[in-house]
Amino acid sequence: MIVFDHASVTYPGGVHALKDISLEIPDGEMMVIVGLSGAGKSTLIRAINGLVPLTDGDVIVDGVSVRKASGDQLRRLRSKIGMIFQTFNLVKRTSVLNNVLMGRLHTTGTARSLFGWYKPADVEIAMQALERVDIVEKAYVRAANLSGGQQQRVGIARALAQEPTIILADEPVASLDPPTSHVVMRDLQRINRDLGITTIVNLHFLDLAKVYCERIIGLRAGELVYDGTGAQADEGVFRDIYGRSLTADDLLEAPSLT
Amino acid sequence: MNGTNNAGPPRESRPRRPSNAKRNVAFIFALLVIVGSVLSVDIKYERLVDLPAGIWLVVYKMYFERGPDLSYLGVSIEHMVQSIEIAWVGTIIGAVLSLPIGFVAAKNVSSGIISNVFRQVLNGIRAFPELVLAVAIFIPIAGLGPVAGALAIGIHSVGTLGKLTAEVVEGIDAGPVEAARASGGRWVQIQRWGVLPQVLPEIVAFWLYRFEINIRAAAVLGVVGAGGIGFIVQQTIVFGRFPLAGTALLVVIIATILVDTVSGWVRRRIIEGVETRRIVDAEIEQPALVDGSAA
Amino acid sequence: MTVAAGAESRRPAKPRPSLAIPIGLVTFAVITWISVSREFGIDLNLGELAENITRGARILVREDTNPADRGLLNPNWVFLTETAEPMLETFAMAVLASVMGCGLALPVSFLVSRVTAPNGLVLSIGRAILSVIRAIPDILYALLFVAAVGVGPLPGILALLFFNIGVTVKLLSETVDGVDPGPIEAGRASGATGMQTTRWAVVPQILPNYVAYSLYVFELNIRASTVLGIVGAGGIGRMLYREYGFFHWSNVSVIIVELFVMVFLIELVSIWLRRRLV
Ligand SMILES: Nc1ncnc2c1ncn2[C@@H]1O[C@H](COP(=O)(O)OP(=O)(O)O)[C@@H](O)[C@H]1O
Ligand SMILES: [Mg+2]
Repeated sequence: MIVFDHASVTYPGGVHALKDISLEIPDGEMMVIVGLSGAGKSTLIRAINGLVPLTDGDVIVDGVSVRKASGDQLRRLRSKIGMIFQTFNLVKRTSVLNNVLMGRLHTTGTARSLFGWYKPADVEIAMQALERVDIVEKAYVRAANLSGGQQQRVGIARALAQEPTIILADEPVASLDPPTSHVVMRDLQRINRDLGITTIVNLHFLDLAKVYCERIIGLRAGELVYDGTGAQADEGVFRDIYGRSLTADDLLEAPSLT
Repeated sequence: MNGTNNAGPPRESRPRRPSNAKRNVAFIFALLVIVGSVLSVDIKYERLVDLPAGIWLVVYKMYFERGPDLSYLGVSIEHMVQSIEIAWVGTIIGAVLSLPIGFVAAKNVSSGIISNVFRQVLNGIRAFPELVLAVAIFIPIAGLGPVAGALAIGIHSVGTLGKLTAEVVEGIDAGPVEAARASGGRWVQIQRWGVLPQVLPEIVAFWLYRFEINIRAAAVLGVVGAGGIGFIVQQTIVFGRFPLAGTALLVVIIATILVDTVSGWVRRRIIEGVETRRIVDAEIEQPALVDGSAA
Repeated sequence: MTVAAGAESRRPAKPRPSLAIPIGLVTFAVITWISVSREFGIDLNLGELAENITRGARILVREDTNPADRGLLNPNWVFLTETAEPMLETFAMAVLASVMGCGLALPVSFLVSRVTAPNGLVLSIGRAILSVIRAIPDILYALLFVAAVGVGPLPGILALLFFNIGVTVKLLSETVDGVDPGPIEAGRASGATGMQTTRWAVVPQILPNYVAYSLYVFELNIRASTVLGIVGAGGIGRMLYREYGFFHWSNVSVIIVELFVMVFLIELVSIWLRRRLV
C-alpha cells in the first residue's frame, strides 16, 4: 500500500509542485493520474520512489517512509518499484537484453555488474520479462534499432525484470501513435491483472484513462481536485481538473468520445 | 505471435546469442601488441621501486627545499612571453596558409583529384612534430632562435588546421552555394559569400584552439634552441638548479592556464557551445562515428 | 510628402556595428606587431628569411663523399638498420603509454564530469588538478622524469602518460557531460548504485567516443614519442638529434621518411579499427 500523508514538494526554484496531498493506493490497484501539463503529475509519481525529495509531509510505501529512508533503504525500496518513462530512457547503443538486465542490477554485486557477469537466473528473469511483452526475439538487437512502441515494451520489460510490487508509468504513451498506445496500455493492464502489481500511470488522454483504469485522480496546480472512478468522471469533473471544457486535444481518438 | 504458439517451451522463440568472434580477434591482436611492447621496452623494472621517491625528490628540490627561487621570475616571464609570441606568430602563419588550402582540400567546393592531393599533403605535414620540423628544416634555414620555432609551429599547424577547415567546409549547407552559383558568381565569389560566412566562426574557433595547443609546443621548442622558455627549463634542470626550474615551470603552468582561459572565453563567445570536444571530434576522422550523440 | 521620401523614412538606420569586432581586430594587430617586432618580439623579417632560404636549399641537395653527409633529398638508406631498434622503442613507448593513459582516464573522467561526479568537491578539485596537468607540455614532463629516474624509455612513458591523461580526461568528461540523462534516471529508479548506473547507463553511451579518443591519443603518442629522446627519454628522438648535431642530413632524412611511414601506417590501421569497432 502507498500512503500520501500531507505530502508537499517545493522545487529549489520555488515552484510549489505538490501541495499537501493525502491519498491511499491499495495493493493491486491500477490508478491513473490526469492533469494539465505542469500540474505536478510527474512530481507525484517521483515522490513515490524518492527521485524527487519531499519538502513536507511523507509518503509511506509498504510501511517504509520515503522521506526518512537512508540511501541504502531508498535503493532497496526502489528495487521493488519499476518505472516506465515517456521517452523510454533506454541506453540506445546497447542491446535490448542489456537494457532489461538493468532491472536486475539491484541484486547483482558491484564487481559482477561492472563486468556484466549476470547470474543465469537473472538472465532468465530478463528473458521472461521480454516474453511477457512479446519482444524476446529482439533480445540481442541494439535498442536504437527498435520502433517507439517496441522501445516502450522494452522499457516495460526492464521494469518487470525488477520483479516489482509497484509499477510507476510517467506518460508511457505520450510519444507513441494511437494504435501503439493501445498496445502498451493493454500490456500494462494485463500485467496489473495477471501479476497483481500496483500500477500508477500518468496519462494526458482522458478517453484512454477511462478505458483502462478503474480509479482516476485529478491534479491541478499541485492540488488533488478529483479522486473517483472513471465512470463518474463526467464533463463537470474534467472542467475542475483542466479549468476548461473538454476539447479534441484532450482525447487520443476524437471519434471515440462518448 | 507466440501467444498462440503454446506447443514448444517459450525458449524456442528466443534468439541465439550473437557471436563476439570479431571483437575477440581484435582484442587478442591488441593484447599481442601490448605484450610485445612490454617485452621489448628496455625498462629496468627494479628502478620502478625508486620511482615515487625519485619524483618526489625532484618536486621537493624545486618547491620545498628552499622554495622556488623567485629572483628568477623576471627571466622566466621574459622567456615565457617569447614562447607566447612564437605561438602567436606560428598560429597566424598556420591560419593564413591553411584557409585557402582547406577550401581546396574540401571535396564539395573543390574537385575530386585536387582535394585528394591536398588532403594527403595535409596528412603528411601532420606526421611531423614541431620539434622535428624545427631540427630538420627551419633551424637550418632560419638559424637558431625564435623565428625557426614560429615557422615550425606554423607549418605543423597548417596540417591540422587545413584538415579541420576542409571538414567544416564539407559540412556546410549546400543551399547558399547553389544560390550564389545560380546568380552567376565566380568560384572565389561563391566561396567568399556562399561558404565563408557559414564556416568562419567555427574556423576562427579552431585557430584559437590551435593557439592554445601551440602555447604548449612553443614552451618546449627551446630544448632544441628554437626560442622560448623551454631552453631555460632544460638548462636549469640539467645543471641541477631546481629552485630556478621550479620558478620557470610555475610560470609555464600559470601562463598556459591563463591563455587557455582567455582563449576559451573568446571561443565560446564566437560560437555558442563549441567545445574542444567537437573540435577534436572533427580532427578525428570518424565517418562511422557520426550519430546523434556525437554531434 | 512624396512617395520616395516616405519610402526613405521607413528604411531602418544602419545598425551600429558591434564593438567586439573592431576591439578584437585592434587587439589582434597590436599583439601581432609586438610579436614580430625586433625590440619586443621574435624579430621576424620576411626579407631576411627569403635570403636564408637559399642557405636551406643547400642542405637539401648537398653532395659529399661521405654518404651520411649528403643532403636531405639524398637519404642514406644504409643507416636504416641502425634506426630499427630505437624506432621499435618509440612504438612500444607509445603503445604502453596509450594503454595505461586511456585505462586510467576512463575512471578519472567519471570523477570530473558533472553527470557522474560523486560530489562537487571531487569535481572542482579534480578539474583544477587536471588543468595543471594539461598545462605542462610533454617534453617538460620528460625533462622532469629524466631528472627523477634517469635516461631511458621509462621517463618517456611517464611523460606520455601524464600528457594522455590530460587530453583523454578532458575529452571524455565533456562527452560524459553530454550523455542522454534518461537512462541514468532509469538506473536510479531501479535501485542501482551510482557505480552500476555509470557502468550500464553511461559507459555504453560513451564507448564509441572512448574508442575513437583512445586511437587518437595513440596517434598523438606516436608523434610525441619520436621527440622525447631529444631530452633523453627514449625512442628515436635521441638518434635524430645526434645526427642533426653532426650535420648528417642524409641520415636525418632516413629517420624522417621512417617517421612518416610509421605515422601513416598507424593512421590507416586506426581509421580501419574505428570503422570496425565503433
Ligand atoms: N527539477 C525541477 N526543478 C524545478 N521545477 C520543476 C522541476 N521539475 C518540475 N518542475 C516544475 O514543477 C511543476 C510540476 O511539474 P511536473 O510534475 O513535471 O508536471 P506534469 O508532469 O504534470 O507536467 C511545473 O511547474 C514544473 O515547471
Ligand atoms: Mg510530466
